[in-house]
Amino acid sequence: MNQMTDLSKTDTSPMLRVTDLTHKVSLEADTLTILQGVNLEINRGESVAIVGRSGSGKTTLLGLLAGLDTPSEGKVELDGSEISRLSEDERAMLRARRVGFVFQSFQLLPALSALENVMLPLELAGIEAPEKRARELLERVGLGERLSHTPRQLSGGEQQRVAIARAFASDPVILFADEPTGNLDNRTGQAVSDLLMDLNREQGTTLVMVTHDDRLAARCGRQLHIEAGVLTEPELVEEVSG
Amino acid sequence: MAASQKLMSVSRDWRERDVRVVLVALIIAVATVATIALFASQLQRTLVSSASSFLAADRQLEAENGRPVPAGWIEEARDRGIETGQMIEFSTMVFGESGFQLVSVKAVSDEYPLRGDIEVQSRAEGTRSIVGSGPAKGEIWINPRLLRLLELDVGDTLEVGNLKLEISNLLLREPDGGFRLSSLAPRVMMHVDDVPATGVLQEGSRVEYIYLFAGAENLLNDYYQWLEPQLEPSHEWEGVRDGETFSRSLERAERFLLLGGSLAVLLAAVAVAVASRQYALSQRDTVALLKTLGLTGKGIGRLYLRRLALWGVAGIIGGLVLALPLFWLLARMLGSVLERPVDIYLDPAALAPALLTALVSLFAFAYPPVRRLRNVPAMRVLRSQPGETGREAVPDLIIAVLAIFGLVWMYAGELALVASLLGGLVLLLAVLGLVGWLMVSVLRKVRGGGNAWRLALVGLYRHRQASMAQMAVFAMTLMLAATLVLVRSSLLDDWQAQLPDDAPNHFLINIAPDTVDEVDAYWAQKGSPLDTVYPMVRGRLTELNDQPVKEAVSKDERINALNRELNLTWMEDLPDDNRVVEGEWFAAGVTEGVSVEAELAERLGLELGDRLTFTIGSEQVTEPVVSIRTVQWDSMKPNFYIAFPPDGGLTDMPATWITSFHLGASNKVALNEFSRRFPTVSVLEIDHIIERIQDIVRQVTQAIEAILALILAAALVVMAAVVSATLRDRQREGALLRTLGGQQSLLVRSTMLEFALLGFVAGILGVLAAEAAVYALQVRMFEGSFQWHWEVMLPVPLISALLLALFGRWQLRPVLSVSPMLLLRRLE
Repeated sequence: MNQMTDLSKTDTSPMLRVTDLTHKVSLEADTLTILQGVNLEINRGESVAIVGRSGSGKTTLLGLLAGLDTPSEGKVELDGSEISRLSEDERAMLRARRVGFVFQSFQLLPALSALENVMLPLELAGIEAPEKRARELLERVGLGERLSHTPRQLSGGEQQRVAIARAFASDPVILFADEPTGNLDNRTGQAVSDLLMDLNREQGTTLVMVTHDDRLAARCGRQLHIEAGVLTEPELVEEVSG
Repeated sequence: MAASQKLMSVSRDWRERDVRVVLVALIIAVATVATIALFASQLQRTLVSSASSFLAADRQLEAENGRPVPAGWIEEARDRGIETGQMIEFSTMVFGESGFQLVSVKAVSDEYPLRGDIEVQSRAEGTRSIVGSGPAKGEIWINPRLLRLLELDVGDTLEVGNLKLEISNLLLREPDGGFRLSSLAPRVMMHVDDVPATGVLQEGSRVEYIYLFAGAENLLNDYYQWLEPQLEPSHEWEGVRDGETFSRSLERAERFLLLGGSLAVLLAAVAVAVASRQYALSQRDTVALLKTLGLTGKGIGRLYLRRLALWGVAGIIGGLVLALPLFWLLARMLGSVLERPVDIYLDPAALAPALLTALVSLFAFAYPPVRRLRNVPAMRVLRSQPGETGREAVPDLIIAVLAIFGLVWMYAGELALVASLLGGLVLLLAVLGLVGWLMVSVLRKVRGGGNAWRLALVGLYRHRQASMAQMAVFAMTLMLAATLVLVRSSLLDDWQAQLPDDAPNHFLINIAPDTVDEVDAYWAQKGSPLDTVYPMVRGRLTELNDQPVKEAVSKDERINALNRELNLTWMEDLPDDNRVVEGEWFAAGVTEGVSVEAELAERLGLELGDRLTFTIGSEQVTEPVVSIRTVQWDSMKPNFYIAFPPDGGLTDMPATWITSFHLGASNKVALNEFSRRFPTVSVLEIDHIIERIQDIVRQVTQAIEAILALILAAALVVMAAVVSATLRDRQREGALLRTLGGQQSLLVRSTMLEFALLGFVAGILGVLAAEAAVYALQVRMFEGSFQWHWEVMLPVPLISALLLALFGRWQLRPVLSVSPMLLLRRLE
């Protein structure tokens, strides 16, 4: 499996390709269009920030890119698989092997220790010696001494570091982050984003991050703006107008 | 331990409130069912063995034709491992030094009695003692009355035919001192081997050979299968279940135990369902995360199924661990009621219903909401998704109702019971729907404010979905608990009414027509007036619609009434405890027709207008059936299968008269004078039988009370499950209200009021639904009469209101004891 991952990392085809993506939700009376005609390509190893105001559709877009949901129309290809046509279980299996997540609210299982939380995706993906890998990652994020602590015994910043360790545990090809510093104070947020960017570089992972924090967005190689469901790319706009 | 394994460990689950409730409910369900099943089996064994002693065995074979049965029959029984014994009963004259007296002799073998024991006295006024076998050869035991009649003493000799026997004991009570007519004269008991030497039994003497059998139920049944084809009409096979008096008490007790068991399971099932739904809701975030991390729907299903299986194992083990000491305690109690040790009998078959209950509770009540977890969208990790709609829970409800139906049917084996309970529940839900609609339309208009009442009403409206669900569960719980309490008390009242302290305990039989008035006057003067005196004519039912009755009736039906002479009577008024179910009672002046007892009529397939022919001596009488009536066989009064009108078909037939009356223990000495004045009248003393029946009733009452306690415990768990369902929301609201400046007292008052209102309405609904169910049960199952129970109409709603208000106050505790900030953060 690792071999397969390595092969895909040297591949030159885009990691993520979105074609004419539209997403609507039906309410009691009418239908609400959340995303409208989104086209996007993200290359391997790229780090991309999707920036927009609350309610602009950025979290929905992230969910669709990661295969947590399927679009009403359009196509999403992740690492060569057209995930918008996969069944829910097929998408889950794809996520287990190739996708990592970091959430605004950490999403650690409260009953499990830090170590167990990191081991969980490794076990789900059937990776051998999960504990060794989990320990290494927790040491890497600076929590080598807190392995047996449960989320409740950790501060917000520490919890997010556990979540980052978990995200990189199964050696994903792409990492999705949803407001990773949104629940943290400035200093802690800064430390966490440093860690996230460093690990991302070390592992050569593709990073797609949703945020409304301009400073964090600026640390990504590319920034996309989303407003009222329509995605725009500032540099491209400048190029066209320039 | 691997993380995913840890996700499923019971010890971790135990830390979650909802899992605790599910587990406790499961444990209670298993414990209740196991205890009831074990105890019912024990009770049955004890009651049967206690009732068996009325036969002095488990089964009796009577030969009424005056001839012993083939020796091979008894050998066969012994070969099959059945204990046997023998008795010969006949009447004869005995001679003492100062005179002679007609006595009823019971000659018994060494094995007698196979069940029960004999009470004797070594001399008049001596101490009473219990012995396990009859007199030895050469000895005779006699009724104390005979002592006085013949001016004898213990140690004297008594001549029975050609044989002199030594009086070695006074016979006070024999286990099988039932209603046999041959035992009307004073009883003497001797050894069966002495009978030939007396020379009393000649060809054609009136004598009954009675064989006793005791052993395991299946052995006895197999033996009967073997024996039955060889039996002649004069042979009668009798078991405890055939004895009308006791089988009825047993049947009622069993039905009640089963009803109790079903209700306990229903309550526990409700608790399991509520708690597991709550648990499923709380697991949605975890499931969404696991899906995001790559677990498939199937994997989620497996994960939770395994977890349910673990709960099941924990529930079963916990339930059994709880059931065993409870059962032991109940069995001990039974022993103390019976004033004798009870052999504890752990029936392995009794555990099957407990296991089945655990499985059904898990898969019909706990699994459906958990199964739907696999449908939780992964997207929930990023954004909270719309919750479940009620529609998704509809299949759950259908599964649950079917499971309830199946379980109750399994326990009670009575469609009537299932229908009564479900009918009550459906009625309840319909009324609830109406109340819900009313609540929504009235409460919508209430605006909030700083007033506790308003806040309470607004609270009810705001949580209307939860409020309705809670009301439904509370009302259902109250209904089930109230049903049980009401049925229990009317059952016990019925029993006590059946055998009041002054119930007749002596029969006078064989009263000559011209001495009826004298006998009546004698007892009136002694302060023990007689009940109604009935004429009695012995006759056989020989033809049905001019066809020999044995041909007219299906061969498969063995009807005791057809095998022996019946006691026929005539009466003007219907006895108080009889009820005409078909046709009309004889009008004044009517002289035609007969009234037939309902069960006999049913077994013979009789309808109004059928013609019955009776052979009485050498005469034949034919009359149409004009009414069918029910009879209280356990009333301890003379009861008759067939009654004629006065001046009807029995006129001029040779009749003797029969009656019963109550004679206090202190007045028993009056019997001696009576026997001397009316030597031809037979006295049947059944006071000790009545005491035994009262024992049985006490026993069953205790059992019922113990089971009720278990069920009320189940009800409390249900309440706790339901209240804890909205705990988190309420705590958050409470914390917010306090943060926003609400005073503690306002919060307490409004919450308590809200719950009190909920409890009050649920109480009213529960009581009404219980009345409906009790009505159906009383009338259909327990054959009792129905009365409104006004005495519970107000107390139940009030208690329920109070209980819920206290529950509400209790769940507010964390809101009041810590700072709102801490609480809000904890609830995050």
